[in-house]
Amino acid sequence: MAEMIRKSSVAEVINHWILAGSCMLLMLSGFAFLFHLEPVGSVFGGFESMKNVHNWLGVVFCISLLISMVHYLKDAFEYDADDVQWFKVAGGYLSHKVKVPPMGKYNPGQKLYYLAIVGAGIAIALSGFGIWLMKDNSTVMLLSHLVHNIAFLIFVLAVPVHIYLGTLANPGTFQIMVNGMMPLADARKKHPKWIKAIGRM
Amino acid sequence: MANDNTTNRKSILVTPELCIGCRACQVACKSWNQLPAIKTKNNGTYQNPPDLAAAAFNIIRYSEVPSQENPVRWLFVSQRCMHCDDAGCMNICPTPGAIYRTAEGAVATDASKCIGCKLCVQACPFNVPRYGEDGKMSKCHLCFDRIANGMSPACTKTCPTGALQFGDRAELIAAAKKDGYGTIYGEQDLGGLGSVYAFKDEPKLYGMKENPQIPASVVFWHTYLKPLSAIGLGGVVAAAAIHYLAIGPHKDDKEV
Ligand code: HEM
Ligand code: SF4
Ligand code: SF4
Ligand code: SF4
Repeated sequence: MAEMIRKSSVAEVINHWILAGSCMLLMLSGFAFLFHLEPVGSVFGGFESMKNVHNWLGVVFCISLLISMVHYLKDAFEYDADDVQWFKVAGGYLSHKVKVPPMGKYNPGQKLYYLAIVGAGIAIALSGFGIWLMKDNSTVMLLSHLVHNIAFLIFVLAVPVHIYLGTLANPGTFQIMVNGMMPLADARKKHPKWIKAIGRM
Repeated sequence: MANDNTTNRKSILVTPELCIGCRACQVACKSWNQLPAIKTKNNGTYQNPPDLAAAAFNIIRYSEVPSQENPVRWLFVSQRCMHCDDAGCMNICPTPGAIYRTAEGAVATDASKCIGCKLCVQACPFNVPRYGEDGKMSKCHLCFDRIANGMSPACTKTCPTGALQFGDRAELIAAAKKDGYGTIYGEQDLGGLGSVYAFKDEPKLYGMKENPQIPASVVFWHTYLKPLSAIGLGGVVAAAAIHYLAIGPHKDDKEV
């Protein structure tokens, strides 16, 4: 068997699933509220209980998002010349012939995606609490309703792309979200700067 | 839509000039809807209860305005849900069936479905929805249960002067115009209101809201944001599928 290396800690993997699971259920119930999807409502035991599930999953999502910041936020703010070059070749996603510059643990696309989720996540959480808990304040309600739905749009556009890139578009990547491991040989090719930094090149 | 102005949309026509302020309509509404009394204080006006409430679907607003013939003019105007054609409350409600349109054009409610989120009042241009102890929304429902069975609403049936009339919307408006009421409040607003008012004076004098509108953020959300979230989902999923087929997944350098 090929030699493996740990890319994500157990805590990172577990928290990622809590974040992803709560987010997917929140998006599903959110779509059900928006478009009156009665079959989805029935799965949650009716709209009234779906509202409670949605609100409390929001709390779970919120805590999980905060924990994820400990894991990813520092990385997500660091960019170098290779990252700029990465954008020039669109990360190699639009053509397999271009030369993709050497990357660290995360490419700038992933880092910007994470920042978008943090930004939209904070917005959707704050506005969600606004709609939930400040029902009698008209200004808060109207603003929250608008912000909640704008942030939702960002999730709707970003999350499926993230899922596609983490599964079908990059075979093998999904395993990292199962046990945190990837083959060392692959890591040397895809993340040379990270492997160099930890002295395993 | 079942309620467009060409079909026989039903309406209440309020003619405030004919109202004598007897409040029989308030009592009739309570009686038909089995609503409890509300304890209130005398605060120097006949208006009682002071505002719409979870147990008060309609009220008579009393106001005193200057007049040429008398020291004051005492005005009575019946207030309730307007049963808007473009109903903000219905647009924003996240729960199917909690607010719905009946065949007669009424904006009816089903408290058993309501989840108590209180979004509807934010989108209502007339500040109509109220919430009971149970947190459920309540408001005038145009007696949807009576009118579906060929009866008129309790309040209009009981009105002794004809200040409240129920009937075919187009006919009521035509008759009021023929009787010399120059201003029909609500004829065009929000796609046409289901509670229309016949005035000879300026509606403003009676405290009617000028140019009622659904809040801009709610209109923006309803027209653009909401459809965009469905279109956006379809779009990114389609883009991913096209990428997978046309360009294909990542390959390691040496396989290129
Ligand atoms: C801390 C996080 C969150 C809280 C407290 C929260 C709370 C709420 C509340 C109170 C509502 C109004 C409907 C209702 O009363 O059930 C709502 C609606 C909605 N939520 Fe959330 N939510 C949160 C996170 C999310 C997330 C992460 C998503 C999706 C990515 C989402 C998507 C939606 C959508 C689409 C609606 C329906 C839109 C509407 O009717 O205004 N929410 N949320
Ligand atoms: S007046 Fe308010 S509650 Fe009545 S139909 Fe219009 S928006 Fe809804
Ligand atoms: S309070 Fe009830 S009727 Fe009003 S928007 Fe929420 S679910 Fe709909
Ligand atoms: S139409 Fe029915 S519910 Fe509405 S105010 Fe009259 S009696 Fe009450």
